[in-house]
Formats: sequence, structure tokens, C-alpha cells
Amino acid sequence: MARLLRRKTAAQSGRERSTLHSSFLSHAGFLWMKVALVLSLLAITSYLLVDVTPRHNGGSWYGYTLGTIGALLILWLTLLGLRKRAMTSGAWSLKAWTSAHVYLGLSLTVIGTLHSGLQLGWNVHTLAWVLMMLVIASGIWGIAVYSILPSALSNNRDERTQAQMLDDIRSIDRQLHEAAQPLAPADAAIVRETLDDDPFAGSLLARLTGRYPRCATAAALLKIRQQTGHQPDTGGDPLEKVDGLLSRKVAALGRLRRHLKIKALLEIWLYIHVPMTFALIAALSAHIISVFFYW
Amino acid sequence: MTFVLRRISVTADGREIIRTSEIARSEITIGRDAASDVHLADLAVSPQHAVMTCNDGRHVEVRATSGLGFDWNGRTVTNASIDAGDGAELRFGGHRITVALDTEAAPPRVSLTVTRTDELSHSALARDEAQAFSLRGLIPGRRVSAWVFSLLMLAAFLVAPIYAYMHWRGVEERPNSFHADSSWTSGPLSSAHASLARDCQSCHTDAFVAVTDTSCKSCHDDAHDHAPMARQLAARGEPGAWSAALIRIGAAFNRDQGRCVDCHTEHEGEGPMPATAQRFCTDCHDGMSQRLSDTRIGDAGDFGTSHPQFRPRVQTVPGAKPQYQRVTLNAQTQDRNGLKFPHNLHLQAAGGVARMARNLNMTNGRQTGLDCANCHRPSADRVRFEPVDMERDCQSCHSLAIETIGGVTRTLRHGEPEQVVGDLYAYYRSTPPTRPLNLGGMARRRPGEYAQGQTYNIYFRETAVRPSRADDAVRAVFSRGGACYDCHTIFAPGVGNNNWRVLPVNQSARYLNHGWFDHRPHDQEECSTCHAAARSSSANQLLIPEIKVCRDCHGGENSGADVESSCASCHEYHPGSAASAPWRPASDRDRRRRVTSITDGIVRGLYGG
Repeated sequence: MARLLRRKTAAQSGRERSTLHSSFLSHAGFLWMKVALVLSLLAITSYLLVDVTPRHNGGSWYGYTLGTIGALLILWLTLLGLRKRAMTSGAWSLKAWTSAHVYLGLSLTVIGTLHSGLQLGWNVHTLAWVLMMLVIASGIWGIAVYSILPSALSNNRDERTQAQMLDDIRSIDRQLHEAAQPLAPADAAIVRETLDDDPFAGSLLARLTGRYPRCATAAALLKIRQQTGHQPDTGGDPLEKVDGLLSRKVAALGRLRRHLKIKALLEIWLYIHVPMTFALIAALSAHIISVFFYW
Repeated sequence: MTFVLRRISVTADGREIIRTSEIARSEITIGRDAASDVHLADLAVSPQHAVMTCNDGRHVEVRATSGLGFDWNGRTVTNASIDAGDGAELRFGGHRITVALDTEAAPPRVSLTVTRTDELSHSALARDEAQAFSLRGLIPGRRVSAWVFSLLMLAAFLVAPIYAYMHWRGVEERPNSFHADSSWTSGPLSSAHASLARDCQSCHTDAFVAVTDTSCKSCHDDAHDHAPMARQLAARGEPGAWSAALIRIGAAFNRDQGRCVDCHTEHEGEGPMPATAQRFCTDCHDGMSQRLSDTRIGDAGDFGTSHPQFRPRVQTVPGAKPQYQRVTLNAQTQDRNGLKFPHNLHLQAAGGVARMARNLNMTNGRQTGLDCANCHRPSADRVRFEPVDMERDCQSCHSLAIETIGGVTRTLRHGEPEQVVGDLYAYYRSTPPTRPLNLGGMARRRPGEYAQGQTYNIYFRETAVRPSRADDAVRAVFSRGGACYDCHTIFAPGVGNNNWRVLPVNQSARYLNHGWFDHRPHDQEECSTCHAAARSSSANQLLIPEIKVCRDCHGGENSGADVESSCASCHEYHPGSAASAPWRPASDRDRRRRVTSITDGIVRGLYGG
């Protein structure tokens, strides 16, 4: 998201105009995709050609070669975290770097898997492989949601900013507070529940699924509806006004929560990608030290 | 009495606005109801929440009227008696009412300061937008979880295993429980070593030093070296640039060449260790004579294409002190075992031998002659054959019987020529010639019957000279046409003694002592497929097949032959155990399948399970 915003800023200020229309995926005519493909094919071909007895494993000269390439690649891919903080342009632009990060990261699935010789088990070596695949999978997820979800995000926003969405709710809350003044204590308590409800409350799961089964506003609307539902709206009943306001709040909350859900889906991958990368580097260190320790 | 009421509200930009009013009554109401004296627009407050009374301008009585209480200096109460001089803080819902004594006025009055403390709604709270709209706070931060996960990994998979290693260092055998360094295993151990799976240090004794032969030999103390290391290295020749580089790198990392584990790789999965690949042998043995000029071992690459002809160990001089020599096998190779035996005569489907075999019911009713199994019996392990035994395998035809007394057949003793001589002398001494029929009966004897040439004369003369006939019989049995002479080489006695000697027979049980041949997998084949016995007229002719016969089915590893046989199928790497079968994985499924396919039959228990 931050990256998208940065690009937008750049577009508005007129800088980097020549490169803006192409995404980092298609940077330089898919140069890094080609590099990664060649690298992967090279690895697969040599894997088939090199005769390792009794069978392929990480401990042959070929296995060590692939392992070294893989480990260096992992460290270089991690450096994107540092590199992204320094924006530059040109052949070694951040975009080129990101493009290489994505494609070389994908080729790591081939290199890392061939390094294992397809021998997986319950040990630190396979753990490192699993973490690596997890990091790559979360990265793929990240790219996928970044290409799909931003349009959904802007559709849902309906040209309102986040602050405006929150202000909508605040405004409804003020009106609810005002409208509820004449209510009896029991009804006032119902309205108070929704006023005291944090619009940003909810677990991580609620954020990701957009389901809030214990939403106080929805519950309040239900309770008020039970009273207003069977009587005609004469226009003077404060409960009717509260009813209407609650319906508006439910709608406003729905939009806010959809917004939060999409944002959460856009963000969540980094909460896996980054910590798992460091877990991977730790497991990788254990993996490398262990094979030399007991070899 | 008069209350002074001060309402404090805060503008959007944080300024406070104080509105002051006076209520000239001794009892005022507090509530959400707009008609209340102290109107609190707060849904947490009842319309008529409380009543406040003050009669002396100093002491205030507060009484809840709606059933809901209020906070007085932090405690929830329904009644409060307050000395305004001491001051107090009351709380109604989200509002605070500070009670104080306004001493500037005369007389002093009770002042009530009303402030809204709580926000109107939760959403109205000021918040950091970037945080509120992100996942921050809902999920541990990236930095935190990166640290946690990394440290967890390092603790579980680096620190704990190293601790286990240090802890059990120098201990002969670890207890069979979980040890953290077992997470370092690169794969399951073979079935032979499965019991060591939790004891990494049984092999990996020193950190950063690859497994040494010392570890292997601590258990495998009977494994012989293949050859002196210097000769092995010479046989392998100078490594190429690539191999040399690999060797140098390996040495730099404490990984020497020529260790047991170079061939016997471990951690390759459960089940038996994989068979040693042909390459491990042919690296040296293929074209070895060029690198090791003084070797007597022929160059061997692939069995199907480049393996020297077999060199069986044959007898060159038979007898009591036989001499053996290894010769290159061909159709004329002789094994002088000391026996006379024409295989072709015995294997004829018709003729005297066949007729006799049928009469003795040795052909199972078939109108053929003998077959191999009539005389050759497999050894107990069925790997090869027992030596032919005269009494068991020949005597049913080649009888050594000399007489039958009372239903017991007496025979000459095989293998003991002196006893044969003795037995024959005893026979002729103790038994008279058969009495002619016409010597018996009650018929009157007439003169002339004792004349020379007549029965009486012949009989009694024969009886008189009977003992000296033994010499003739002994000579006959050892001479051409006699029972011994047919099969054995006889040495006649010198003048003045009767010391007949028979050349001792030595039957070799095994001719190829540097390779292993097992008859069991070949059970389904006819003997004649490999052994050309039916055309052999001499017992000296060695009937083991030449390599080309084997190659009809067998080829080297990955040769595409019906039976792919690597070096290890027949040869043992560690020569100390040459007398036994070469090591082979217990379940060689691939091999079993192939053998079955060429015999087109169900082979049950062919390999002993």
C-alpha cells in the first residue's frame, strides 16, 4: 500500500514518468523473469545430468553448490528490506531490485527443492525448506492481493477517505446520542452499547473475514426493531429516529469493516513474510552449522 | 440557599468555555431530563437521577432517586453527605460534578462544577489513523515476531543440539531417549544402524570432523582392508582436475578420501543399505593394468562387456598331494581329479546305462537315461553340490557285492584297497566252491566218476586249491575289466607284495574362489544350459561354463541385460570374507522381479525369502 501511494506521489510530481506505466513485474521486458527461468532450467537440467551416488542429496558437491547459491540468494532477497528504504532510479532502481526480488525468489523454490534432493523428513533441514516455501508462498500471496484487491478497496471507499469514513460514524454517534436523550433508561442503555462500541474492535480473524458476530450496533438495531417493527412510524417517536440512525450506522460500519478487511488482506502477508524470513535465516544458520558440525 | 453551577465545555480546538449560573433553591435535581436543574445530556444518567439538598450553605446531602447510584470520591453510593468545605467529586455517568465551597461570596455558597469527562461515543475518541486502520495491535509486530521466531529456531535447533552434543561427549552410549541433536538428522538410518538413530555421537564423535573409519571399526572390527591404501590410490590413478579440486576442498573441510562412508553412505532412508554401485569398483578396476602394471588381476569394467574370462583353480597333479593352479577357462580346461568317468556314457538316453537306470527305477518311469540329479546332490545350503559319494551315488549300479549270506549282501570296502585284498583272501579261504548238484543225493556212486575231468575230480581239486584263487581275484578286481579299474587309476604292487594302490580322488567343491556363484537363483534352469556334460567323455574335462554362457542372461549394471549384475553380485569388497556370499541388501526386489520374468514361472522361495 505504501509503495502504491509512493508511486502515486511520484506520478503527481512528474518524476519517474517514463517507468511508471509498467509494474515491477514487467520491468525491463520481464528481464528478471527470464533470468529466473534460465536459472531454474539450468538447475533442473544439471540436476538430471549430474550423477550423484547413491542419489541426489544436499551433501554432494552438487548439493553444496545449490545450497550455497540458495543461501546467498536468501540473504540477498532479505536485503530488499534495507534497499527499499533508499529510493533510486535507473538500472539498479528499487523497481528493478523488486522485480529481481520477486522472480529470483520464485526460482528459489526450484533451487532449494533440488538442493534437498527431494529428501524431506522431520528435521532442521526440512524445517528450513518449509520456512523458505512459506516465505515464498506469502510473497506470492502479497503480489496476488496487490494486483486484485486495490480496485476492490477503492470501489468500497466510494471516494471517501478513511478519516471521512470514521467521521461518518462519529456524526451518526452524535446524532444517536442526541436522539436517545428522551429515551427510557432501558432503551438508553441499548443505544449506549452501540456508542461505547469501538468501531475498530474485533480480533484478527474478524478483521480478515469481515465477520463481527458480536457487533453491538447490529444487536442494538435488532432490539430497537423489536419495539418499532410492529408499530407505525408516526414521525414523533424518538425510537423511530434511533432506529433509522442505527440502520445508517450499521451501513457505515459495514463499509468501514469491508475497508478494514481488504486492508488486512493486503497487509497480513508481510506479517508472515518478514518474521518468517528471519525465522528462515535462523533455521538456515542452524541447518548450515549442523551439517558441518556432524558431517 | 443558592447553588453556583459552573459548566465547563471544551471546544474542538481545546479551549475551555465556562458558563456560570445560579440556582436559588435548597433542593436541586440532577438528571438527563431537560427539566432537571443540573441537566446532564448523558445516556448513562437517568432522567431523574438524584436530588441534592443544602440547607446551611455548606453541608450538602445527595440522594439517588432512580435506583442508579453515583460515584462519590471513587466509591459508588446512593446517598452522600458532603461538607462542601472539604470538597468532593461526584460522578454521574460520563460527567463529573465537583462540589466546593465558594468562599469569595458572602455568605459562602456551594459551587458545583460540571465537566463532561467521557467522550460521547467510542468512535469519537481521538486516534492515530494509520494505526487504527492497520493490523497493528491485532497481531504481534513484525519486528517482535521476527525476533521471537528467530530466537526460537536458534534455541531449538542450534543451542539445544549443541548442548546435547557437549553433554554426552565422551559417553560410551547415550540412553535411548530423545536428544535434541536428533533434529539434525539428514534422513533415517538404514535398518542395520536404526538402533543408533538417537545416538548421533556413536558415529559423529568430533564436532566439524567428518565421520572417520575409527567410528565404523569400533563395531566392524572384522572388516578387512581391500588392498594397501597406496596400491588402491595407484590403481585409481591421478584424479582429474575436477576430482582433485573436490578432494582438496574435502580435505580442507576435514573430509578425507577413502573412508568407509565414501561407499557405505548412510542417512539414505529406512530399509537395508543400498547395494554398492558398480562405479565404486570400476573406478579402479576398469583398465587397472595400465595404472598398476604389476597387478595379476585382470581389468574389469562391466560384466557384460569387459570382464576377464573366469580363472578357475584346477588340479594339475592329482593324488595324495594334489597340486592346484589357476588357469584361464576354455573348452579344453582339465581338472585332473584322479577319476575316470565319461559323462556322455552315463547321460545317454538309450543304451546299457539307460536300460539299467530304468530297471533300477531311477528314471521315474520315463523312457530316458540318467540325469544329473541321480548322482549329484546339492549341498545343504543349495549353493553348490556335494562331492559325488561312491556308496551313495554310484553303487546302485556299480555294485561291489561279492556274496549274499543269509540275506545279507557282503561288499568290498570302497576306499580301502588293503581291506579289499584282505576280504578277498578271507572269502576264498573260508568258502568252498559251490558243490555241484550231482555230488549230492543218494544215487549210487559209480567208478570212474573220480577220473580227471569228471565232476568229483574237478570239485575236489578246486576245493584243494581254493585259497590260492584269491590272488587271481585280487588281481582281477584291480585290473582292466575289474570293479576298481573302471573308475580309478591303479598302481600295481611290486614284486613280493600285494600292495595295490588307488590314486586318491580330490573333488573340488568350488573352482571360482574369488567370485561367488550361487546355484539357488538358477534353480529353474536345466543343468545342461550351462554344463555341457552330455558331450564330455572324460572326467578330467572341467565342465563349468565360460563367461560367455553367463552373459546370455547377465550384464553389468544398467546394461539392459535380462539380469543386471553389478560387481557386488559376485565379488566381495572386503576380501577377508571371500568364503562367504558377498553382501547384498536383504530384499533385492528389483533382482527378484527380473529373474521371475525370464523363467516365466512362479518362483516361490527361490531366494530363501
